[in-house]
Amino acid sequence: MDFPFVKEAISQLFSKPSCAMYPAVESVAAPRYRGRIAFYPDKCINCMMCERVCCGGAITHTVEKTEEGDKVTRSFNLGCCTFCAHCMDFCTHGAIELTQDYHMIATKEEDLIVSGTFLKKPPVKKAVPPKAPAAAPAAAAAPAAAKPAAPAAPEGKAGPAADAADAAKPKAEAEQSAPPQPRDDGKPVQDPRTCVYCTICARKCPAGALTVDRAAKTWVLDEDACVGCGTCAEVCPKKAIIM
Amino acid sequence: MFKKLIEESTGKSPWLFHINAGSCNGCDIELVSVLTPRYDAERLGFKLAGSPRHADIVVVTGPITAQSLPRVLRSIEQVPEPRCIVTMGSCPQSGNVFRGSYSICGPLSKYVHVDVDVAGCTPKPEAVIDGLALATKILQEKRRAMK
Repeated sequence: MDFPFVKEAISQLFSKPSCAMYPAVESVAAPRYRGRIAFYPDKCINCMMCERVCCGGAITHTVEKTEEGDKVTRSFNLGCCTFCAHCMDFCTHGAIELTQDYHMIATKEEDLIVSGTFLKKPPVKKAVPPKAPAAAPAAAAAPAAAKPAAPAAPEGKAGPAADAADAAKPKAEAEQSAPPQPRDDGKPVQDPRTCVYCTICARKCPAGALTVDRAAKTWVLDEDACVGCGTCAEVCPKKAIIM
Repeated sequence: MFKKLIEESTGKSPWLFHINAGSCNGCDIELVSVLTPRYDAERLGFKLAGSPRHADIVVVTGPITAQSLPRVLRSIEQVPEPRCIVTMGSCPQSGNVFRGSYSICGPLSKYVHVDVDVAGCTPKPEAVIDGLALATKILQEKRRAMK
């Protein structure tokens, strides 16, 4: 008598199952798996870029006004998310990360919301560059590039560094040759030598802080609205914006 | 003694009924992959039922289109109590990228009580197994509460 598969059948009885033994053996997602969103509120600058690029409309924010500034709570609804990672890719400050965690089981809708709160302080007002050396102590409070230039500045004209800080002036005489210096506070500076006033930066600015007039050749930055995200410098075809 | 045996056994073999309410087919494929040999949820007792009248757990995928809404509700009504409704993927929870379309009637929680949400687009098979395990627990609790 011949039993052709007896050996195979018996050996299969004592071998390990070929399936993934998931609940007993924990499995780790692939290295670049896009799972649960992690939000780091201390890195967020509130440029709203993530909310604009989110195709599912999963990202929302609420603003609560307090004495120290605006308390911004940004929440990500994982029940509405496609995990495309656009928000992570567009975030200039790395405040959003899609982790490898795939255990997203909930019995209530609130369990699927990831949120973070941070305080957005009102921008520090830049002091006016001093006209006379007597006003120099007042300039010590100024955070921007005006500070090193202040002691050496003669009456009237405040030197090239202060000009660079005050980028709102489209055509300063001193700026014909020297490239503008980047600012200390991380806000954009326009290089009037290469700028063609194409208005792309103004259209791409998530905060709406730039006003560019092609006809009048003016480039004006609203410093209170600017969040320093760097989008304008990124999109500038002439690389005329320095961060 | 028989009753106790039946009660214990039913918890170990929850039958699934899968409703596609306008899904893109991603979640459907993942649900099938959970039941096929790689992840093999059948070793845990899950089995795909052909009729809602045989099912314990209803798995809904898709953003609940206007065409599918009456059929989804009718199928869910046919599932005998106690039943457990599981939404799979982002679509039945919110509408996802289809939200706001004229033909989308979701989310599902507007019409029936949803017990478990499995988030992801699509969820990993492991996450689906987690969700089904939780649904089984909820089902057992409901069964005890009915007695």
